[in-house]
Amino acid sequence: MASDRPLPEPVSPPAVRPAAEGPTPAAPRDQAGLLDPAFLQRLEALSLVSRRRVRGRQHGERRSLVRGRGIEFDDYRAYEPGDDYRYIDWNIASRLDRLFVKLFSEEEDLDIRLLVDTSRSMAAGVPSKLLLAKQLAAAIGYIGLVNLDRVEVGVFSSGPGPRLSRLRGRGRAFDLLRFLDGIVPEGTTDLGVALRRTLDESPRRGLLVVISDLLDPLGYEDGLLRTRHHGMQTFVIHVLAEDELAPRLSGELRLIDAETGRAVEVTVDADALRAYAEARDAYLEGVQQFCFRHGIDYLRTTSTVPADSLVLRYLRQGGLVR
Amino acid sequence: MSFGTPAALWALLAVPVLVVLYLLRVRRREYVVSSVLLWVRSQPSWAAFRPSRRIERSLLLLLQIVAAAGLAAALAQPALLGWTAGSGDVVLVLDGSMSMRARDVPPTRFDRARAEARDVLARLGPGHRAALVLAAAHPLVLVPPTADRGRLEAALAQAQPWDVAGDVRGAVDLAAQLVPGGRGRILVWTDAARSSVPAFPNVTARVLGTADDNTGLVALRVLRDGETVQALVRITNFGRAAVRAPLRVTRDGAAVYGTTLALAAGETRTVVFPVSAPQTGAGVLRAQLDVRDALPDDKTAEALLAPAPLPSVLLVGPDDPPLERLLRVAPVSRAEVTRETDPAAWRGYDVVILDRVTTGAVPPGRYLAIGTVPPNLPANPSGVVDAPDIATWDRRDPVLRFVDFGDVHVRRALRLAPESGHVLAAGPSPLLWAYEGRGLRAIVLAFGLADSDLPQHVAFPVLVVNSLAWLGGDAGGLQAGQTLEVPAAGSDRAVLLRPDGTRIGVPARDGVFSFALPRAGVYRLMTPAGERAVSVSVGSEAAGLIAPGGACGAGESCAGGAASQSPVQRVLARLALWPWLVLGAVAVALGEWALATRRHGGDA
Repeated sequence: MASDRPLPEPVSPPAVRPAAEGPTPAAPRDQAGLLDPAFLQRLEALSLVSRRRVRGRQHGERRSLVRGRGIEFDDYRAYEPGDDYRYIDWNIASRLDRLFVKLFSEEEDLDIRLLVDTSRSMAAGVPSKLLLAKQLAAAIGYIGLVNLDRVEVGVFSSGPGPRLSRLRGRGRAFDLLRFLDGIVPEGTTDLGVALRRTLDESPRRGLLVVISDLLDPLGYEDGLLRTRHHGMQTFVIHVLAEDELAPRLSGELRLIDAETGRAVEVTVDADALRAYAEARDAYLEGVQQFCFRHGIDYLRTTSTVPADSLVLRYLRQGGLVR
Repeated sequence: MSFGTPAALWALLAVPVLVVLYLLRVRRREYVVSSVLLWVRSQPSWAAFRPSRRIERSLLLLLQIVAAAGLAAALAQPALLGWTAGSGDVVLVLDGSMSMRARDVPPTRFDRARAEARDVLARLGPGHRAALVLAAAHPLVLVPPTADRGRLEAALAQAQPWDVAGDVRGAVDLAAQLVPGGRGRILVWTDAARSSVPAFPNVTARVLGTADDNTGLVALRVLRDGETVQALVRITNFGRAAVRAPLRVTRDGAAVYGTTLALAAGETRTVVFPVSAPQTGAGVLRAQLDVRDALPDDKTAEALLAPAPLPSVLLVGPDDPPLERLLRVAPVSRAEVTRETDPAAWRGYDVVILDRVTTGAVPPGRYLAIGTVPPNLPANPSGVVDAPDIATWDRRDPVLRFVDFGDVHVRRALRLAPESGHVLAAGPSPLLWAYEGRGLRAIVLAFGLADSDLPQHVAFPVLVVNSLAWLGGDAGGLQAGQTLEVPAAGSDRAVLLRPDGTRIGVPARDGVFSFALPRAGVYRLMTPAGERAVSVSVGSEAAGLIAPGGACGAGESCAGGAASQSPVQRVLARLALWPWLVLGAVAVALGEWALATRRHGGDA
């Protein structure tokens, strides 16, 4: 189910930007540690929510699609030859003269896959979209690790990039944070190709968290649909920069795409900004409606919203963590 | 608003040049954005990619244009014009010549003059008075000095040029009398084609006109010699280039003559052709020139084939066989004889001949008194003169045209003592006297026909016919600008159909219908007694001369030529605007610079 929540509380815009040649480089905060210890400590009390039963490889702390040996009662069904006698509910048999077996959900581990968009457009924003994406991935991954979920984190731009897989347990948190800390923006966005290859290489079902700005000239729809076809529980965190929502531009400009190098000449005035706002609203509404229609959870945020606020407040409200 | 150097307005061409340079200049700032995806998606709904949008939305360009336009306008030295206090009255003199109908100054010279005169009126302060004078065949004060703008405007709207050579000098003289002592301005609009403007200190003239090409009909006359009728057409090329002028003459719409004349510059050609017998009689002869030039109004002329007859005549007196015989053959419309001396019985006749009868005071009318003087004429006789010799007579007067008194002998005549009027012939005392006034028009012959041998001379019928023609309102040889008086013959009102097709009512005053003839053509006066038509020719054969400033001499104030300034602009006070324009342009330029600087090196 897609989330239908408003954008996070707007934060105060940065001071009027001087006429620099492009977005402001990442602030010093980008080079700081991804998550501070206090925040990590608060994350340990959280766990990721699997909205559907997933099938893990090992026993974990999740309800599994496999019924039988777990301890959490799930349902009854008529006895069939071959069923384990231990699960026959004799109380019912004595009252109804019919045999029923109790079904239990097996508790398995959750396959959590984090995909971070590292295309060059993610460098935009103050702080950069990529920093927030890395912080979110670190926080979600950390929650998974402390809950003994299997965590895999990867990056993508025009295709799948480096990936860190088979992480499980709190002890791999350092590996996770180090991997994320080393990510730099590069390449162009091609979400379709990246997701297709990722899913082909690792087809197991589980929770897929995609953190991206979705500014893909080829469209985001095919890639996200593919995750649904693979039975993934997909959660899209849409990260945008304040300047992308409300450009602080005016005059005669030659706008150059940071990823493709494509240039467009525009005369930016009130009418142009109004048209941009209409296109932006249509685009964002389209993303949200698409996710809603296809059962993809969706959260939109700007890079100015602190990661701790996002995780502790909005991801909780969105049902990704509890 | 006026401009000291209007040519400097060409500098305004810098504005489009500025726009072109602005468009050509590559000056877009490059700006790296995370993605142009949304900008491209917004493209269909707005025109940010259209180059002209840069012009529409560029405040800096607008400021640059304003600054450039302001500087260019300042170069032209603009000034506001205002009527200064203490300027005194102003007299507007409009040349009412036919040449002012020329269309080289659209719509016509006269209309332009009228518009500029209206502009003067609009600029007059509340306390200022103005007068309006039309330089027609003779100067006419259309409106004496007044502060009533409405009256001036109305008179200005109704003023029209005449088919004459206007008396501009006379009009300026008259205007000078309206502002005695030079305490006022006289503004003259003229083309100065035939008459220059007197160089009075307080006279400002505007010479209108640019063209001198005109070929026109200067005369159309019908000549009768016994039973034969001939038409005379005279055409003049007033321009400086040779022209070919197709001429077509019609009688009541049917062509009677046609030719094409090749006229050298300044050449006048006269064409005479007979109007054949079946075509004689009544009707209107119309000549038309198929020439296109600046003055279309002199391309047609009309003349009556059968001029109006002499008036109806009532002979009052005893038997007078020579006179009665003459009246029977003279071209009068009607002639009767009576012995009734009661004026009430004379109604219905244009002219009454009082032949040796003693009457009381005669009512207003036209009289030929022979051997008698009505008591209300200012020429009471003081006895008789025996055998007076006709020593002198005025051969130029229309009454004595072709009259020769050289062999005429008079046995006895009344000794006239005229107090006014005009003595036409005299010996020891006036013998032929003409008078106009008090509603009377009269000719007094101081002797009876029986007391002279005049009836035996050819002068007799000529004198009588001339006298009847003058008394009845001479309809022959009328020219525009004249005033025609026609005996009312008892009628109170008549309708005048003018050549342009308009009809006006003409009241009878003192027994006559009197009306001006401003235009050439055929006039028809319709009275209860019938219709009388007269043809009027152009007031002067020089009226078609349209070359502007052609009559100006050195030092005369008609200098200035076709492009001369309006007199308004030369007499009104000037408030120079260019310093303010320069200051404004500099201020705008500084504002543009400041704004461009604040944009961090953007559009500046």
